[in-house]
Amino acid sequence: MKLYVTGSTGFVGSHVVAAATARGHDVAAVVRPARSTVPEPAEQRTGDGPVGSVDPVRVDLRSRRGLAESLDGADAVIHLAAAKAGDFATQFAGTVMATENLLGAMTEAGVGRLVAISTFSVYDYLNTRPGTLIDEQAPIDRSPALRDEYAQTKLLQEELYREFGASADTRLVILRPGMIYGEHNLWHALLGAEFGPRFLRIGNSATLPLTYVENCAEAMVLAAERLGEPDDPIDGEVINLVDDDLPTQRTYADLVAAAVETPPSIPIPWPVIRTAAGALKAGNQALLGGRAKFPGIAVPDRLHARFKPLRYTNAKAKRLLGWQPRYGLAEAIRRSAAAEAGTGQADR
Amino acid sequence: MTSTPARPALPLRAAVIGSGGISREHLGFLSGRLPSGRGVTTPVAGRIRLVGVADLSPVAARYGASQFGADRAYTDVAELLADAVPDVVHVLTPPQSHVALATQCLEAGAHVICEKPITTTAPELEALLATAETAGRVLTESHNYRFNRGVVALRDAIDRGELGTVREVEIRIALPVTDPGGRFGDPNLPSPIHDLPAGVIHDFTTHFTSVLLHLTGPVDFSRIAAAWSNHAGNPLFRYDNLDAVLIGDGASGPVHGRLRFDAGAAPDTFTVRVRGSGGWAETDLYQPYNRTVVPRPGGSQLSPIVNHVVNGASLVNDGVRNVARKILQQTPYEGLHRMLDLTYDALIAGTPPPVTAADMLAASRLVDRLLSDEVRL
Repeated sequence: MKLYVTGSTGFVGSHVVAAATARGHDVAAVVRPARSTVPEPAEQRTGDGPVGSVDPVRVDLRSRRGLAESLDGADAVIHLAAAKAGDFATQFAGTVMATENLLGAMTEAGVGRLVAISTFSVYDYLNTRPGTLIDEQAPIDRSPALRDEYAQTKLLQEELYREFGASADTRLVILRPGMIYGEHNLWHALLGAEFGPRFLRIGNSATLPLTYVENCAEAMVLAAERLGEPDDPIDGEVINLVDDDLPTQRTYADLVAAAVETPPSIPIPWPVIRTAAGALKAGNQALLGGRAKFPGIAVPDRLHARFKPLRYTNAKAKRLLGWQPRYGLAEAIRRSAAAEAGTGQADR
Repeated sequence: MTSTPARPALPLRAAVIGSGGISREHLGFLSGRLPSGRGVTTPVAGRIRLVGVADLSPVAARYGASQFGADRAYTDVAELLADAVPDVVHVLTPPQSHVALATQCLEAGAHVICEKPITTTAPELEALLATAETAGRVLTESHNYRFNRGVVALRDAIDRGELGTVREVEIRIALPVTDPGGRFGDPNLPSPIHDLPAGVIHDFTTHFTSVLLHLTGPVDFSRIAAAWSNHAGNPLFRYDNLDAVLIGDGASGPVHGRLRFDAGAAPDTFTVRVRGSGGWAETDLYQPYNRTVVPRPGGSQLSPIVNHVVNGASLVNDGVRNVARKILQQTPYEGLHRMLDLTYDALIAGTPPPVTAADMLAASRLVDRLLSDEVRL
């Protein structure tokens, strides 16, 4: 297949390009016009046959210019590009309007197969009881005004995906990965928050909805392959991506700390910060009409989305994609640390 | 520009074209949903109804309309004008599109409130004002920083005579506009602002000249020297630095102006300082405070000490207020909201808007002169 991969130079995108080419697919890799580097194909093929090729495509999704033409010959699109930082306008342009442009161009170019990458951030965590199983049926956040810009814009993006998928000419699967970890992304926002030179380690015993980047990338390529099959069983489906044997915060943090340097941490028990943030929100509502704005970890809507103890499953991903996460936690951290140190190639 | 001959029916029907970053401030005002009602003295309800949000992007138009309670979203301006029949249109698109869109709205019978710079040159503005005159509609431009509390306090101090005769106004803006992660520094999809004569600094020139002229009053700046530089040498930018000196004759004698823009200085700054024959005063619009140094009780010996004590107490007070401002999400756009509030008051009363055609022309002509070849260093 020829896969059109947006966000191809990013943390996940570069692994998707590697996974796709390793499985023999050619990749049209969307690279922003001013970027000097382009993603590399895999070094080795999984199975028989040659490694796929990588053809960089120089477009910026925030503009429709050249987009439809750039999709020429693509069999399916894996849409990873999103703005993860910046103010709301920046993330709206980089995530929502970019997706609108891409979907419009796909329609124009007659490319109907889309692996749409969403996120666990779309779920409603504040109103979900602790210990609940977060599967694909879990409710998404219908009133995200107090969530961060990323969650708000990814929710809007999912609306666009669903509109696109409603057409008879399209084949759509929405993938919602949990926290994707890997090289340079081991110490992440589900462990806590930066506090000057230190790190507030929030909670200890919650299960982390993790997926290792190479595992996750392979699932995304598998989804593109499945979309191409006749009588496609995954068309219109939403699929969560998390690995097997998910660790607790403590287990994961200990393993990472043993492998790479981590910031000095201040532990904060989950019940303490949950109660404090709840009281702050109640006080804000009662005294200030909710007008006061506080850092993310002091806003329950955002805090619960990151640290609430919940349960997760990858049963649907395994069933529909035939996916088996290739690397376990310890091996994934080892590969990540080796890649960070530059002493080992995360080859496959 | 002509005022409306009769009082319009209320609520005024308002529409917005363009849903970029600044639209949230306009839409927040129009919907009455500003986080803290900053700068607005009269409730919007009953005065204004948000009838439409238009953007070329359907999802952007739809989102703006739904978030701010507009009646409908549009992707076509002609359809917005025909269907929503707005009394007032806020034109918030990139500067290059202002003339065409404002003309379309004026000719459809709507007043126009346009983001700065309303036009790229003063002759274009003259033509657009003529269009407004013919249409019998109001055309006004965001000179928003004139309406920030700090600048209002400076103007009040001048009007009360506390500073004596104004002799010098200095305005300094420091912002990291060349930052590759910022909205101007991204080389992948360069901002249209780079195509304007002053490049990215054109986004600030109206602020400079409108605040300067607001504080000096009418001045014929007969001598100007302007150094436009690109110190960092980033090829995306025409200039990242402006250093301009203006000298002219005001109503009460000579007046000096100094305008400084620096993309390399930190922290973010928008300071305005007025020096008069009787004292001086300053403010910063990004971290608001006001400091006034004037003759105080105690004569010439004690006056400097009293000034220190009074200003010290005032700075502490402003520090505490700025903490509250940050928590309550009050931003330097408080002046924009106050300007819009006063503009709608004027539209309803049929009086001239707070930013008049004369204000706009004077500010625009001064920008043209700062960019003219004969004043360049």
